[in-house]
Amino acid sequence: MQLSMTAAETARRVSEGELRPLETVDVFMKTAREREPNLHALLAVLEERAGHAAERLDASLSRGEGPGPLSGVPVVLDDGICVRGTPTTCASRMLEGWIAPYDSAASEMLDSSGAIICAKGNMDEFSIGCSTETSAFGATANPCDPGRVPGGSAGGCAAAVAAGYAPLALACDTGGSLLQPASYCGVYGLRPTYGLVSRWGVAALAPSMDQLGILSRTVEDAALALSVISGHDPRDAMSSPGDRPDYMAAVAVPDGKDARRPLAGRRIATVAEMRGGSDLAGACREALDRTLAMLAEAGAELVEVHLPLSFNHGLACYQVLLAAEASSSLARFDGVRHGLSAEADSLNSLYLGTRGKGFGREVKRVAAAGTYILGSDRYEDCYLRASNVRRRIVGELLDALAGCDLIALPTTPTTAFRRGELDGDYFGMSLSLSFTVQASLAGLPALSFNAAGAGELPAGVQLIAPRRGEAGLLAAAAAIERVRASRDEAGERRSER
Amino acid sequence: MRHVYTPVIGLEIHVQLATESKLFCPCSTDYIGAEPNTNVCPVCLGLPGALPTLNARAVELAVRAAMGLSCEIHDGTIFHRKHYFYADLPKAYQVSQYDRPLADRGELYISGDGGSPKRIGITRLHLEEDAGKLVHSAADGRLEGARESYADFNRGGVPLAEIVSDPDIGSPREAREYVSALRRLVRYLGVSDGDMDRGSMRVDANVSVVKSNADTGEILYRGDRAEIKNMNSLRSVERALEYEIRRQRATLESGGTLERETRHWNDGEGVTTSMRSKEAALDYRCLPDPDLGPIEVSREMLDAIRSSLPEMPWEREARFIGDYSLSEVDAAVLVETPALADYYERCVRSGASPLRASNWVRTEVLRVLNERGVGIEECPVRPEELGLLVSMLDEGRASTTVAKEIFGLMVDRGLSLQEATDRCGAHGELSQEDLELAARSVLDANPDVLTEIMGGRDLKGKKRKFICGLVMKETRGRATPGAVEDVIARFLEGME
Repeated sequence: MQLSMTAAETARRVSEGELRPLETVDVFMKTAREREPNLHALLAVLEERAGHAAERLDASLSRGEGPGPLSGVPVVLDDGICVRGTPTTCASRMLEGWIAPYDSAASEMLDSSGAIICAKGNMDEFSIGCSTETSAFGATANPCDPGRVPGGSAGGCAAAVAAGYAPLALACDTGGSLLQPASYCGVYGLRPTYGLVSRWGVAALAPSMDQLGILSRTVEDAALALSVISGHDPRDAMSSPGDRPDYMAAVAVPDGKDARRPLAGRRIATVAEMRGGSDLAGACREALDRTLAMLAEAGAELVEVHLPLSFNHGLACYQVLLAAEASSSLARFDGVRHGLSAEADSLNSLYLGTRGKGFGREVKRVAAAGTYILGSDRYEDCYLRASNVRRRIVGELLDALAGCDLIALPTTPTTAFRRGELDGDYFGMSLSLSFTVQASLAGLPALSFNAAGAGELPAGVQLIAPRRGEAGLLAAAAAIERVRASRDEAGERRSER
Repeated sequence: MRHVYTPVIGLEIHVQLATESKLFCPCSTDYIGAEPNTNVCPVCLGLPGALPTLNARAVELAVRAAMGLSCEIHDGTIFHRKHYFYADLPKAYQVSQYDRPLADRGELYISGDGGSPKRIGITRLHLEEDAGKLVHSAADGRLEGARESYADFNRGGVPLAEIVSDPDIGSPREAREYVSALRRLVRYLGVSDGDMDRGSMRVDANVSVVKSNADTGEILYRGDRAEIKNMNSLRSVERALEYEIRRQRATLESGGTLERETRHWNDGEGVTTSMRSKEAALDYRCLPDPDLGPIEVSREMLDAIRSSLPEMPWEREARFIGDYSLSEVDAAVLVETPALADYYERCVRSGASPLRASNWVRTEVLRVLNERGVGIEECPVRPEELGLLVSMLDEGRASTTVAKEIFGLMVDRGLSLQEATDRCGAHGELSQEDLELAARSVLDANPDVLTEIMGGRDLKGKKRKFICGLVMKETRGRATPGAVEDVIARFLEGME
């Protein structure tokens, strides 16, 4: 079995009996053992659980039971996603040793699809951070350049997929927590429409933006994973009802006259405010240009939209709302019921001791900021104001998307920064989310893929679609993947000559 | 200058809604007597990743209550998170409603101090979740001095409707009337059991006094209000408010000032003590709950609930007075709970005269329930049987003595009406022959008395009554006094 085998290929071979589930688990474990000392992408390896799952799958396949769409596919989950009976720490001392007593919707759906949950990925503590350096259990290295960060919060998951541990990982995206590491590590990152995928069992950061998403190495695998995890869940009041389209059809190779120009008739917009932006690194601008050329080659019409509010005020608006909601989400960690509980002789000292020891610096900073923002004296001036700005940003984005099918822009303003480079520079760190918070604020789906030149550090480009426009995102990314493949082939032929 | 001090009272009442499951999760709400922390799940324990889903039944019950209070009910109101740290609050926030309550601008009529009905405005009614309970190891069960405290989350997440009145209540007596009128209403609507001693209904009071010139009515000073907590019965509501008004008045009379504060009612000592001042008031940092959407209240839902509303207690009371000619006081007692009113009406429907049935239910039945400490649902005598028993009295087929004896047997021995009647030897119907036989034997056994009567010496009729009494005893009360008197009169006439 090859390291780079995709989820689709793995599932096909396992279903057809060419590969046994235990072998896929073995490959995962072997890769992880080899690379973990250098990368530290994982917080827990669920070897026993994965072994049992593989045996169960093996038995059910040999009984002739129909294979699931992800049969035998190793998957990594970020450590904020509950898997019953396994540790779920959110990379915090606060939850060190806490064993989740229930399953998330995601782990239930993965289990029933035949996927094998093999490990929990490292992350920024409670998803607060942009580099996986705030993890209480040590940082993760970027597999493309170990001196650089993998991004964050879902840096562990992105690194695990990029390093070939597993073809798929699921992680929570709040303001770019999944898209930004996808960009830094050179993998696909799909943030679905808010409400498309259940958040049940996913530790909250900012619930109005939190959305479970997918990291993969191919667009087909992202579509495959999305068809498994999307669906209405009555346990999540924000989960939207209604049928989900056939995402696999969206990435299928088109035939007939459309084959060469699959995006004919599609209008794909660039953002006027990105033009001449000095904050954008050259590699990222080139990645965008390269992508636009491929989109045009695939038949898309390129247009331009204006999003002044979203780009001038999006990040500030996001940070106010994030801090407010995060301070609320984090309030429950008080030492009374679960996780860390400090020795104390009064209730107040229990709170102070537990939260003082349990939370890291960044978590405390955000919780304190949120507490300040929600204070009755500041509520209108901070929280309500940010909420109103958010409403206008949503309006601006929806208006723009009424005139085009997709918006294309760099995922991040730079490529992965060096480890320790932005230590303590909260503002500098947060700039890495400059282009991802917009989709989060509006609950829009976004898909990031690597568009760096050969031999360069990964640089992601993202496409943003209207709500529930995942099929359009996947189709466009698949078209780009094919254009790139045909160019690569042509290049190889040239070099052979 | 003479001064008058007028109390101004508003009440905030938390009513536990009678749902089977909690407000945001499927856990049972039946926490009384349950093993600690057995009715819990990731949602009501606030575990990482758990999410709330709104219990539609709780919304329905809150809407019913709002309708009973003639409130305006709003579609699309939202939940807020109200943050504070306490060991009984799993998420460190309570999910409640803040600036947009489910319902507002209602009213409830009570019997005012002037004797006529008084309108008390309802400011708002909103939905929220209950907290868990702390059990302290200190001897008196309070937090102070306890070495250990235990948290039980069985009650955490139970749905509450918080009902806030306008400051229209003018006295402790009116406050008591208001609480009991509200309790009666929620019981009628099936919204809550309304039991204050079990904590199903919890009352907080905002009270202040206004000082004015007795002659001109000019307002001289408005005191800041105090919020009184921990009043666990109708009586303690009245006592706490009486104390607090006295205290505030005395403070003003001695030249002091009143500041906004929260005070704790100590029922044992009969005093309120300061818990926290305005400066120490909590900042709840309210945040619209991003995990919950707006509460949908559709027109269809409102119509369905409206058409399922029962007869309101005040309507029933008026009907009892009109249809059964009961006094206002008696009608009020009988309509206190829908079950008691139903009991009474079933009694009347099985043939009893409304007045006598009212007397029996209010005295005999309520006495038995009080003695046993049970509700009308557990009354050992079925209303239909009581109705038949009362109609035996109505028709002169039993005397009061015998009826009470029969009732006693039904209550104490659990006998049916038939069995108890048999046991008393009172079949109701006593033949004229048997009555005459009994009268004859009594007269034969008392020749001296007979002689006195016949001799015209029984001027006040006492001897005659004595004879009648003996006949009643002989017939074991089966004969009615009238029938006995008739027979004795005929015998005496025959002797003359």
